[in-house]
Amino acid sequence: MRDNVRRSAAWATMVAGAMVVLCGATPVRAQGGAPSFYEMETKYIFGFTEGSGIGLEGEKEFSIDTVGRFGKRDGRYAATETKFEFEYTPNQYIQLEFGPLAAGHYIRDVTDLDDRHMFQPSGFFGEIRYLLFDRPASPVAVTVSFEPVYRAFDETGGAPVTNFELETKIMADVELVKNRVYGAVNLIYEPEMTRMPDGSWERESQFGLTGAVSFRVLPDLLIGAEADYYRHYDGTFLNQFTGDALFIGPTLYYKLARKMFMTAAWSVQVWGREIETGQRLNLEEYSRTRAKLKVAVEF
Amino acid sequence: MQHWTIIRSAMLAAALVIGAGQVALAQDTTLQLTVENGQFSPTELKAPANKPLVIVIKNNGAKPIEFESVSLRVEKVIAAKSQGSVRVRALAPGRYEFLDDFNKSTKGTLVVQ
Repeated sequence: MRDNVRRSAAWATMVAGAMVVLCGATPVRAQGGAPSFYEMETKYIFGFTEGSGIGLEGEKEFSIDTVGRFGKRDGRYAATETKFEFEYTPNQYIQLEFGPLAAGHYIRDVTDLDDRHMFQPSGFFGEIRYLLFDRPASPVAVTVSFEPVYRAFDETGGAPVTNFELETKIMADVELVKNRVYGAVNLIYEPEMTRMPDGSWERESQFGLTGAVSFRVLPDLLIGAEADYYRHYDGTFLNQFTGDALFIGPTLYYKLARKMFMTAAWSVQVWGREIETGQRLNLEEYSRTRAKLKVAVEF
Repeated sequence: MQHWTIIRSAMLAAALVIGAGQVALAQDTTLQLTVENGQFSPTELKAPANKPLVIVIKNNGAKPIEFESVSLRVEKVIAAKSQGSVRVRALAPGRYEFLDDFNKSTKGTLVVQ
């Protein structure tokens, strides 16, 4: 576990160092004096952490956004959730998103979870984002979002349930070096309630604080690192603390074409606690590693 | 009856949200911008703070352009030898970059003061 933390810290330091060197070495202007590093949207450049961007007025986007969670205390565990997302910016303050979800579960010999091998439609989500503060009026751009989600299957184990979640998020970002280096912080409160197969309702909530830095090494390529800290509670209003987890990992954003981009992130749980069992790493509520891949087309 | 009141209120709220960018039309300040030979003219526009703007872009070039600005939150494709306009919310003082997304070396700045 300590080796794991040391390896991750060393890795993150190397990545950050390499990015600083690359950013310093990359010429700001291409040959012929053409500007290389123009303004860019920050929403998707930080991996799991989101930037404050809300898009351009009238802009529409379709994306496939998959988050995978891998590894529990024992057995084999892989779970994915894919958003088929339509995004629209009706004006210069608000962005709307909605779409169906699909879930995949591959579970073998994991304590407290049934074996499962499936991929199926699993629910719907919607999101509204409102821009509170924007650059250049404020050095820190801030957006607030509300994302109600309905799921027909348990996110962790894949069992049929009725689940309602409301992810509330404050996203702040800053240009540390204009058009080159960006930093972001997210504050997350996520209450949810689940009707279990036996008819009982289970209420839980999560608090999250995530931070990321992203380096624009080429006009269309950003590489970065992020640290995400989550606390899980029983009860809707952060009532009873049950455990926490810290994830660290690299991020990638690449603009594939003028109106098409991809973003990817991978992170490993380097620290965590399960209050009930006293175990190191929180593998009851979280996984050992997470990965994210999103491909989007704007039109 | 109560349902209809709720539905009417929700529709009114939605209309207000979606129409937020459309208000204050009568108070808009209009700015003129021309694109020719891969250059904006003028390259620096000036506008008063806290007033909605309309930027009229005249493309005199032989190719279409896409006027785009992340900080202004607008984009507009304008065909060759034609003109188009974008409406911008009331802005705080500052410098706002814009460019032609088809040819990123064509760029300019809106200075709001």
